Amino acid sequence: MDSQNAFLRNIRQSLGLSPDEERPKRLFPALFAKTDTTLILQGIKNRTAEQQDELVELLKTNARALSITTHIVRTYEEAAAVIIHLVRTKSPEFTPTKHIIHHDHPDLAALQLWKRFDREGEGVTVHTTFSPDRQLREKTIASFIGITAPDIGVADSATLVQFTATGCPRSTSLVPSIHIAFLKKENLVADLREAYALLRERARLDSYVFITGPSKTADIEAQMVHGAHGPREVHLLLFCLSVVAETPNEAPIPLVPLKEE
Amino acid sequence: MNNTNPPTYRSAAAAGIASPRLQKSLHGLQDRFGKGAMEIWATMDDREMRHRVKDSRMNTFAHLDIILAELAKNVRARGGQVHFAATAQEAIDYTLAVAKKNKVKRVVKGKSMTSAEINIDPALEGASIEVVETDLGEYIIQLAGDKPSHIIAPCIHLDRNQIGELFAEKLGIDYSNDPPTLTMAARSALREKMLGAEMGLTGCNLACAETGQISLVSNEGNIRMATTMPPVLVALMGMERVVATLDEHREALHLLTRGAALQKLSTYVSFLGGPANADDPDGPKEFHLVIIDNGRSKILADPEFREVLACIRCGACLNICPVYGKIGGHAYNSPYCGPIGAVVTPLLDGINKHADLCKGETLCGACKDICTVEIDLPRMLAALRHKLAYGSDRWNTRQHNPIEAYVYSLWKLLVSNSFLYRLSLRLGWLLQRPFVKKNKMISKMAGLADGWTADRDLPPLAGRTFTDLWKRKYAVGRPSASKAQKKGGS
Ligand code: SF4
Repeated sequence: MDSQNAFLRNIRQSLGLSPDEERPKRLFPALFAKTDTTLILQGIKNRTAEQQDELVELLKTNARALSITTHIVRTYEEAAAVIIHLVRTKSPEFTPTKHIIHHDHPDLAALQLWKRFDREGEGVTVHTTFSPDRQLREKTIASFIGITAPDIGVADSATLVQFTATGCPRSTSLVPSIHIAFLKKENLVADLREAYALLRERARLDSYVFITGPSKTADIEAQMVHGAHGPREVHLLLFCLSVVAETPNEAPIPLVPLKEE
Repeated sequence: MNNTNPPTYRSAAAAGIASPRLQKSLHGLQDRFGKGAMEIWATMDDREMRHRVKDSRMNTFAHLDIILAELAKNVRARGGQVHFAATAQEAIDYTLAVAKKNKVKRVVKGKSMTSAEINIDPALEGASIEVVETDLGEYIIQLAGDKPSHIIAPCIHLDRNQIGELFAEKLGIDYSNDPPTLTMAARSALREKMLGAEMGLTGCNLACAETGQISLVSNEGNIRMATTMPPVLVALMGMERVVATLDEHREALHLLTRGAALQKLSTYVSFLGGPANADDPDGPKEFHLVIIDNGRSKILADPEFREVLACIRCGACLNICPVYGKIGGHAYNSPYCGPIGAVVTPLLDGINKHADLCKGETLCGACKDICTVEIDLPRMLAALRHKLAYGSDRWNTRQHNPIEAYVYSLWKLLVSNSFLYRLSLRLGWLLQRPFVKKNKMISKMAGLADGWTADRDLPPLAGRTFTDLWKRKYAVGRPSASKAQKKGGS
């Protein structure tokens, strides 16, 4: 605290103020005044189905430009089918065996992924980021696909806002080579202004991240390469119970029936 | 900024101009990002936003004591530790103490210019700690033992062949000059480093006082790695890199990613305040925010230069500057190059020491036009020149070139006295004779003046002045305007 006092004293001096006179925040209410977000929040809440569908279309267009593959899914079964397809067709980058990991989140639990890989010799291990599993770090590093359910999607920039929470750690969307995000249509907002209004409601969150597409770099002769350090692919499963504007998925994927135990 | 024997501005600039590779890269960079940013500013719906963000930055500075206290309070409330460092050395000492306490063997760095400014690497390495840059460009620079030459694209001066050779030598891979192959090689090498490091060391793009968080922007994901996987995180932050509220954060971020890389958003924007929960499998167990002055309060105190603190290090001014676009970043001999570097480097590290920087820029005004937060860099470049011309106690600056000053006072005397002026022209005309060559040009002048003819020939002083000619031609009487026009036209 001593270093702080001396430091702030010096700042006051630099500002031509009396160095020893602390300026309390309450005397400067305009500094931290919050803009009124009621209208923005109402706008999000009262969005009509058509407006939501417009956002879906906008998101899809913007996502494509950023190399995010969007899959519109109407049921958990469809969502699971896309994931199974990806797990079966993609190869692990850093390990010989296929491990996948998903957040401990109700929407992802509903996919029942742990039951889905029972083909002979398939050997896919499904992990969930249950807290407090002491081996989660190793499991995450071993996984080639990480699946999360972001809390907000932003149509204008094709951004996913991922909160850090118990059971939803940071590395799941970062360390595996492929990130699959499951986003409900109702969590979609138009732009960052709306997203920030929602974030302010959650001011107590310690950590969150905006994810806009796969990891990329252009450090070598300005040539864009995906997969610098984070995931080299991002797939977005957009969960829409009703889709008015029908645009087909880029690659339709057949359903995979859930085997009875 | 503590180079032992850096090349001079002139020699590094000459080397930059002589390198076809650098010229090609710089041209490509400016053609795309410089023009692109200007286009975005010209077509933005919200034309007032840049102005607003600038105003809010300036308002933040006027209340910096309150806002930093609020930031520190809120970070501490989240369980983070905040240290205020008045000097680079204090920041180094604190970071080193954290590393030692945690028995750190390896530090992974997210791209941080502040860490370069305070020159922390030698101190860490001196304590037997391995320091690894994780931004691909910075990693390449580190492997090559080189220096970055652009704020956003540090290895713009190296081409794929050089990087291929470097990787073959240092990483033991087969030679390739294919950017994806090279990137994947670095990805594997750095993944090991990042997963096995005990400490992450990053900068801070913008801290938000209201929420008690820092935010970090990256496209590669290295900064997320460095802030997620190691158990200890130290974030170094220049004291000006703070906004009061989330609202202000949004607008500054909006401009930052556009100015830097024409993106609506960078791939990752991480918000962090305090350490992770005890049960979390990742995230830092210790979170340290080091708020650094290191000469900034002196800038804050001077109304002439305070504005430069508003810079959000987007690098846009580099992407338009005609001088940077030719000489490249190395000539600036500082982590901060280009027009912003030409202003901020002398202010942080000595105006006399970096005298060439402000004199090298052309004052064309392009950096002011493009600046994301409308900083008037040309005004401050001129102000720095003023300090060099006349000296400044406040900035502990001595008159840079007394002979030049003497010559200019003489010049002032001559041009304000018509008799002396004419006399000196006459004298000049006589003295120049031995220097006028067959082609009627002067290609080499003597003594102090030889710089004038280093790159070009000069026409000699005319035997008759314009006034002489005029008098002779119109000796009879002053012509009317129409007559003069007719004559000129015939
Ligand atoms: S001076 Fe302006 S344009 Fe240059 S880096 Fe700073 S904010 Fe960007």
